[in-house]
Amino acid sequence: MAVKRINGIELEQMLRNGLANLRASEDEINRLNVFPVPDGDTGTNMVKTLEHGLSLAERSGDVNVFTKSLASGMLLGARGNSGVILSQFFYGFSQALSRALLIGPGELRNALVRGYRVAYGAVMKPVEGTILSVAREGIEHIRSQITRGSSIDFILSAYVAEMRKTLILTPEMLPVLKDAGVVDSGATGFILIFEGMVKYLNGEVLKDSAQRTEPKNDDPDLSLFNEDSVFVDGYCMEFILQRMNGSAYEQDFRLKAFTGALDRLGDSIVCVQDGKRVKVHIHTKAPSVIIELAQRYGEFLTFKLENMQIQHNERDRIVKPAVHKPLSVVAVVNGAGMRKLFEGLGADCVIDADATMNTSAQEFVSAFDSLDADEIVVLPNNKNIILAAEQAASLVPEKHVTVLPSRSFAEGYYAIAMDIPDEKDLEKRIRGMRSGIDNIVTLRETTASRDYTYHEIRCRRGEDIAFLGGELVCVERDWKAAILGALAMIEDIDDRETGIVLRGAGVSVSDEEALSEAIAGQYPMLELEFVDAGQEIYHWEIGIM
Amino acid sequence: MQRFAILCDGTCDLQEGFQKQYDIRVIPGHIVLPDKSDIPGPLTWDRFPRDAFYADLKKNPNGYSTAPANVEEFRIAMEEIVKDGTPLLVMTISGGISGTYGFACTAANLVKETYPDADIRCVDSLRFGPGFGLMAVYASMLREEGKTMEEVADWIEANKNRFHQAGWLDDLSFVAKKGRLTNAKAFFGTLAGIKPIGEFDYNGLTTVIGKAKGAKAAYAALLNYIENTIENPSEQIIFIAQTSRFPQAEKYKELIEERFHPKAIFINDVFPSCGINIGPGLMAAYYIGKPISKDLGEERAIIEKALASEK
Repeated sequence: MAVKRINGIELEQMLRNGLANLRASEDEINRLNVFPVPDGDTGTNMVKTLEHGLSLAERSGDVNVFTKSLASGMLLGARGNSGVILSQFFYGFSQALSRALLIGPGELRNALVRGYRVAYGAVMKPVEGTILSVAREGIEHIRSQITRGSSIDFILSAYVAEMRKTLILTPEMLPVLKDAGVVDSGATGFILIFEGMVKYLNGEVLKDSAQRTEPKNDDPDLSLFNEDSVFVDGYCMEFILQRMNGSAYEQDFRLKAFTGALDRLGDSIVCVQDGKRVKVHIHTKAPSVIIELAQRYGEFLTFKLENMQIQHNERDRIVKPAVHKPLSVVAVVNGAGMRKLFEGLGADCVIDADATMNTSAQEFVSAFDSLDADEIVVLPNNKNIILAAEQAASLVPEKHVTVLPSRSFAEGYYAIAMDIPDEKDLEKRIRGMRSGIDNIVTLRETTASRDYTYHEIRCRRGEDIAFLGGELVCVERDWKAAILGALAMIEDIDDRETGIVLRGAGVSVSDEEALSEAIAGQYPMLELEFVDAGQEIYHWEIGIM
Repeated sequence: MQRFAILCDGTCDLQEGFQKQYDIRVIPGHIVLPDKSDIPGPLTWDRFPRDAFYADLKKNPNGYSTAPANVEEFRIAMEEIVKDGTPLLVMTISGGISGTYGFACTAANLVKETYPDADIRCVDSLRFGPGFGLMAVYASMLREEGKTMEEVADWIEANKNRFHQAGWLDDLSFVAKKGRLTNAKAFFGTLAGIKPIGEFDYNGLTTVIGKAKGAKAAYAALLNYIENTIENPSEQIIFIAQTSRFPQAEKYKELIEERFHPKAIFINDVFPSCGINIGPGLMAAYYIGKPISKDLGEERAIIEKALASEK
């Protein structure tokens, strides 16, 4: 079918098909990660960015109305580098269509050209072998063939085909891809969006699996309950009890009597029997008594226990009106201890990102909105969200936001630790924080999630791997050895005096002691401060100053 | 002309040797120990070994507290000196952080009720700890030059704003909690190796004027700072104070000697009366230099430049 022109509603349908196509491969794209660390999130970031744009886009037959609102939604919803680049592409795309009510071949060509150019402009140091390359090559190779008579489906099919050719070349353009034996994840996602759009034009309407709800992080905010909290709400307990045969268990089970017993131990009771299984829900302060009672009759098939005080405290968390400050700091963290660390140093807004650290531009904008400050400093603390933070900053110029390019928690920590809050000269404060980032070496350690080869380095799944400044440098069977190995690779390690060690989630205090001893044995002059930070992915993050 | 006496409160941190050498009398304040016993603030380590004291203080910062000598104690100490007609110069810890100066003035008035001819002059040093002690030493030296009490007191009033502190406090939580730091609320939190550089502000409160990344950078910036603020170093006595930072203080002393060749330089202890409010982590030099600017603007600029040049 030759489609000569499309309107805003058709473009929206095409993009929704593109989103469905992208989403179908979301996990696959996430796995196109150059490092054997389970933090790949390109697919998810692109899905979220496009999804956010479509959710805020104004449904309109007028292309310019639709694309303008789509682009603005994408700019806000952009997550991760790939999300930011994608949003910038569509921002350029919409700029080219700002007066267009319909898209014909000329408009489409111009929009695809403008899209990649704006995306290039948004990146400080454009890297070839990424979305940028495929978007550029895709249109540049076919633009001379586009005529007034070209159909939309022809142009987009050719565009996708050219982009696929370039995608195969991305490992040649970007050595890190070649080493990891993958093509670029962002470029792959970008192509899938346009491929989905072509499919729509060919009559292949995809069912968006998505309404598949994203894995939501429902983890309770543990910082809302501590040793000084008042515990009045008790626990929410739910379980399915399998009543058992055998002499160890009482066989004379009567639901009414059982419910009666529960009634004395709590409230909000729901107790349902299905054959020899009993499903129970109760709010109680005496979970152990109930466990004992239930085990007289059988064993648990499932069991859930939640501290309801945390939920209560969450509800009670009063949103205080922001106090005016000359300068406020927004920091992205991962983990309760890390939050405490940054708040302790004066961060006014701490965004607790999940393991993949894909804070969106929208989240940053909301953070800026929650503050009343003459100047705002952002510490993204991850190289993948610096762009999203910068994009957010550019969306609210009236907020005077400075993004300090902290690429790790350690860099962010030293930035905020260098702040002098009672200094009146704000530029001087920002300079001081920026100087905190200088010359910090970040060492990270974790367990390899898959077999992997990078340059001369090989690791097998389950081995301990250490990174220096984002580069995999050491593989060992023992985590301490991996850290010591990486430390030894810091050229001027003997001249360095001090550092901060951020202990990840699930790493024990005894491991901390062991690491402290191991490092002290090797580097007796290196003073380290250990913090129970609670970050995911990396067991240890060490900032050496 | 009768030689006048100098009486300082116990926060001057002058150990017995200095007290004797410079003929300075000290009226101790009170310290309350974790077992709630109230004892005179010592200026020796006879009762508490230094390291053990600071180690315990770090573990139990809220277990210790301090109080100045009260009016009656001041009155008795003053009367003891002035009853034979000796003029008395009383020097106290900064009125910006303690009510001691007021107590001393009230006591002086009470003494004059009994000894109407008593010649007592109270001076607020606007300093604490070794900065205050150094000022008392200078007062004593002027006395030895034959200056009268009035002349010495006037000199202190005119010059107390020239007594500098150049050093770091790597744990700000004590000074912040006890109100010896400007904008104390802003300075909590873990400082892994960052050295906040502290100077006295106009009212004698320690103010963070810069931060150095690590001890090496801090030493270099501090020497640079001293160079830009000190006057006639070769004629000066310099005090270095430290709380649980003796090795660092020794190194600092060497560096200062090498660069400025002062007339004398001493590493001083910070005894419990001040130590309880400073905590472990102080390492600073005290000297006379250019007058400190009202908002510390000039000093901040100097330290920023010094820190930048060390990168």
